[in-house]
Amino acid sequence: MKITIDGQKYEAQYGEYILDVARRNNIFIPTLCHLEALPGQGNCRLCIVEVLEGKRRRVVVSCSYPVKGEIEVLTNSERIRKMRKNIVRLLAAAAPDSDFMKELQKEYGLQGEERFQVTRGEDCILCGLCVRACEELGIYAISTVNRGITKKVSTPFTEPSEVCIGCGACAYVCPTGSIKVKEEGGKREIWGKTFALLPCPSCGKYFITREELEYVQAKTGLAPEKILCEKCRQEQAGRKMGDVFKDIAMK
Amino acid sequence: MVFFKRKPVKTVLVCCGTGCLANNSLEVYEGLKKRIEGAGVRARIRPVTKATGCNGLCERGPIVKIQPDDIFYCGVKAADVDEIFERSVLNDEIITRLLYRDTSTGERVKSHRETEFYKRQYKIALRNIGEIDPASIDDYMERDGYRALKKVLTSMSPQEVMAEIEKSGLRGRGGAGFPTGVKWKQCERVEALPKYVVCNGDEGDPGAFMDRSIMEGDPHSVIEGMLICAYAIGAEKGFIYIRDEYALAIKNMTTALEEARKRGFLGQNILQKGLNFDIEIVRGGGAFVCGESTALMASIEGRVGEPRVKYIRSVERGLWDKPTVLNNVETWANVPVIINRGAQWFRSIGTEGSPGTKVFSLVGKVKNTGLIEVPMGITLREIIFSIGGGIPRGREFKAVQTGGPSGGCIPKELLDLPVDFDSLTESGSMMGSGGMIVMDDTTCMVEVARYYLQFLAEESCGKCVPCREGIKQMLGILEDICAGRGREGDIDLLLDIGATLQEASLCGLGKTAPNPVLSTIRYFREEYEEHIRNKYCPAGVCKELTEFYIDIDACRGCGLCEQKCPVGAISGERRRTYTIDGTKCIKCGQCREACRFGAIKNRGRRHEDNH
Repeated sequence: MKITIDGQKYEAQYGEYILDVARRNNIFIPTLCHLEALPGQGNCRLCIVEVLEGKRRRVVVSCSYPVKGEIEVLTNSERIRKMRKNIVRLLAAAAPDSDFMKELQKEYGLQGEERFQVTRGEDCILCGLCVRACEELGIYAISTVNRGITKKVSTPFTEPSEVCIGCGACAYVCPTGSIKVKEEGGKREIWGKTFALLPCPSCGKYFITREELEYVQAKTGLAPEKILCEKCRQEQAGRKMGDVFKDIAMK
Repeated sequence: MVFFKRKPVKTVLVCCGTGCLANNSLEVYEGLKKRIEGAGVRARIRPVTKATGCNGLCERGPIVKIQPDDIFYCGVKAADVDEIFERSVLNDEIITRLLYRDTSTGERVKSHRETEFYKRQYKIALRNIGEIDPASIDDYMERDGYRALKKVLTSMSPQEVMAEIEKSGLRGRGGAGFPTGVKWKQCERVEALPKYVVCNGDEGDPGAFMDRSIMEGDPHSVIEGMLICAYAIGAEKGFIYIRDEYALAIKNMTTALEEARKRGFLGQNILQKGLNFDIEIVRGGGAFVCGESTALMASIEGRVGEPRVKYIRSVERGLWDKPTVLNNVETWANVPVIINRGAQWFRSIGTEGSPGTKVFSLVGKVKNTGLIEVPMGITLREIIFSIGGGIPRGREFKAVQTGGPSGGCIPKELLDLPVDFDSLTESGSMMGSGGMIVMDDTTCMVEVARYYLQFLAEESCGKCVPCREGIKQMLGILEDICAGRGREGDIDLLLDIGATLQEASLCGLGKTAPNPVLSTIRYFREEYEEHIRNKYCPAGVCKELTEFYIDIDACRGCGLCEQKCPVGAISGERRRTYTIDGTKCIKCGQCREACRFGAIKNRGRRHEDNH
């Protein structure tokens, strides 16, 4: 079916999210809590768009609104821009020192906050990506706890988690860098738990916790000596690629 | 031939609802039971859970009713047991001093039915409450219980059942007002199996207790309603989600489920008609947001009670992603009556767009507080002034807050507004689950808005940005205004952020959260402006903006204010006049409450602008 986005017609599949259709066609809709690997959370509300369906005109989040009919979408109407600006302003007051938020503020023409209560010291914007990442890995070491203004991301009872494998996926997906990972002397500390790191079988650099290694082994069936650090893995892939090209050239 | 008219067996009903229990009604029940059984009298005694304040009379509990004469005693103590037994059970005398005194007429009345309070009510959802022992399935069946279930199983097809409910125009009593019959049909149409039937008993609005009353006092009506839906949509499993604080509701519902199973109303092959259905109770942890349908389902599944986006509705993918019908307790309690008496009859009550009745918990600055069930379309004026008996202490009505914490405040200009789903929404408030809080002229509307936002800031699930951060900032601004730190432009900013919350929030909680602010700005804008510009709280509530003084022309020198003042800020001479020492006064307002001559007045305090 065809849907209209900002006046142009685009092909869309039944059930496809508006955001995916837009991205495929290079229409920019800003997002915060959306990653391609962890889509459809609908938490940050930055990706709101207006949907016109018959007489109905409503605001929806494009990351999780499935296309079911020939709708018309406005991604950047005045109404939407105003609300997005408010959302950025609200978030910036919650995480004023985060570079990420500063960047967004600039983008939306917002200057220093004068009226809202600004909370310093915490850069987390509760986008939920870390929790989602941990869940997707099947670890469930962290979760959001409490509710309302006291909501935060935490391990159970803010104690070191028994199930955490120290993989750092949560910190990796965090847009504001608010999850602290300390790495020195062959040790990694995250969420109040310290892990011993193991060296890369190829370059010898410490890179993985024993728990994560076991997890990767169980998932992939690879022998420990085949599990390399990111850099060596890339190099190896590069070499393989090179060999392939060489083969082709020889033929 | 001579016929002896047999004297009817007397039934003594002792309220054992939460409110009455707190006032030792159990002692009264035990005492009367012992007397009646000991004397071998032909009388029945039954403990009855009566909704706390269901007739507005439970604030005068414990309540004892004697049938068939419909004698209504209130404020009964264990010491009254002997007298009640001797005079009203053995004989047909009435003990005048225990009768209820009508607040409007000041007269003692024999039956609560004779009161102004009761006359205008129409009971459908509360039909059995206070009349039956909730632990007795026989009591329920005596009053047409499970007759509707038999009717649908023996003579109606699922389609006919859904058509009947749809025709009745019943709308969801949890607040949103979605047509119940349409919801059932949508769910029935989805092909996936299994399907679930859920009852939302996570009543969270402060001051609202209609659902609790029904679950405590008439649990079988909810079960029967759910059974009828299960038959209609083809579900085999149901859940009743009750917040754990409702201990008695959980207990009575558990007993009711067991009884229903024993009688073959739940389980396999119900009434030999091939219907399989059973219900499980799930206890909620008391988070306000779990009353939101998708958060409630997440909670039943054992996940964090957070709502999800509802672009695919629960009737398609609800509990465990299966088609689910979720209705509120009061909605379920309406269903059996509609089946028994027909859609036509139901439509004859209430209005065209909102047929039937609605239960409200009427509280606040009103003479008769409690649970009331009234036909839709009744005006706010009738509810507050006829049923509620008006505002106590001769004060003036200022506003009524409907729809719970995220409802809105309706001013006196709209007192003749008919109460139904659409009119309330149009006025900037909402039906909600039926909370109704009456406010008088000593209520500050800015402070009211601040109070509700405080509640919502704590109860928002915190998942989406507009709701979590928006409520927090709106609350901060309101706190500033109440403390005299309001700034020019604050009202517009509140309106702006409020509009973003309404549109961009994830669930109903966030979308309606700005209502208390937006509706008070809409109707009481000048009160906000007084706070911001003149640093003056007209109602004399915001402490930083209030100074109490005694109007010497009105003061009679009775000295009551001096007695009431907790900090000794008032001094003077009897029969002359009194003064308040502003440096000591903590602005609690007790003197103003106490003064019979309206001599205690409030004025603004000059504040330096601290921009």
